[in-house]
Amino acid sequence: MRVARQSERRRAIALCAAACVSLLGCGAARADDASSWREIETKYIFGFTTGSGIGLEGEKEFTIDTIGRFGKRDGSYNATETKYEFEFTPTQFIQIEFGALGSTHNISGVTGLTDRDQVALAGAFAEFRYLAIERTSNNPLSVTLGVEPTVRRIDETSGEGVRNFEFETTVNADLELMKNRLFVGFNLLYEPEVTQPVIGETQREATFGGSAALSLRIVSNVVIGGEVWYLRHYDAANLTAFTGDAVMLGPSLFVQFTPKMFMTAAWNTQVWGREVGNTLPLNLAEFQRHRAKLKFAWEF
Amino acid sequence: MTRTLALAALCAIGMLQPSPSQAQQATEIHLTYSKGQFQPNQVSAPADKPISFRVKNLDAKAMEFESTSLRVEKVVAAGTEGVINVRALKPGRYEFYDDFNDKARGALTVQ
Repeated sequence: MRVARQSERRRAIALCAAACVSLLGCGAARADDASSWREIETKYIFGFTTGSGIGLEGEKEFTIDTIGRFGKRDGSYNATETKYEFEFTPTQFIQIEFGALGSTHNISGVTGLTDRDQVALAGAFAEFRYLAIERTSNNPLSVTLGVEPTVRRIDETSGEGVRNFEFETTVNADLELMKNRLFVGFNLLYEPEVTQPVIGETQREATFGGSAALSLRIVSNVVIGGEVWYLRHYDAANLTAFTGDAVMLGPSLFVQFTPKMFMTAAWNTQVWGREVGNTLPLNLAEFQRHRAKLKFAWEF
Repeated sequence: MTRTLALAALCAIGMLQPSPSQAQQATEIHLTYSKGQFQPNQVSAPADKPISFRVKNLDAKAMEFESTSLRVEKVVAAGTEGVINVRALKPGRYEFYDDFNDKARGALTVQ
């Protein structure tokens, strides 16, 4: 069984490598075109890491953004949360987004979680982003500050009915290393939340962490990359009760289909983690074994 | 307490006032769009002053003046003029294009 899984993994890695090589080959063939490419909006080119781009004044966008979380310590765990989002840029420094959240939970045999198979309208969110440092042809660095209040009626992890309030704050920075071609992105994240379950005490928790991502534009409309996240979880909003941490690693892909339509996809696997009071490898109490992101956007 | 509140109110009023760069008169840049090209396609403007692009679309179909680095986009219908206001800019090169026509490009040099 284990041998079969290893060979399957090797085959998947070989397939990914072949795809990367062919994409890179395609990019190399057009390497001389990079100076003639249009500048790229960096917000979505880093996978789970968010770039500093805030869009263009007057631009409106509708997006469907799904994040899937897969795998716990035991049993079967598959959960998704989808943002149905309207995004607009009212000024050259501010971007606003808001929308509804839908969720799915397919859980069976996971210790500490009730088995369920459900689809639900999970809540609503809004996001405000402010461009603090703008990139120019003389300054490759760009930094955006963001806050995202979210209200949920369905718990993100367990799928139970709850009242959850989350207030995500982020710093999104990116650096253009090679004009129009190579970008590095950094995120800092602080996400306090309070959850009131139907039965039981109110829970306060927070996630704190950061990421680094590198993305290469291989042809004018395709960007590939990789990112690493380090996340810490606390059972208190003020970061005093540490419960565990994890490192997630994975590739990302951005494709601009037309000037008004694009998609972004990313996959992260937990490569290291620890839970306080548990000697087993990985942190599968607060985080998942894998997470995936798939986003489609239409500008108008 | 009263002094603190007064100070906070003053700060808030100060923030609402236009900054010196906002109060400055904008530099106007006139462009025409004809046969799928900008004329002129290389323009310049002084740094730290707001800019106002006036784009006259002489073609028979709509164009979209767009720029990632200027962070603006505006559809200009056929035979009309569009006005695009841009913040005060730092020195550098800012590209613009017609989002409906990949061949229509131009650049603004701010110095």
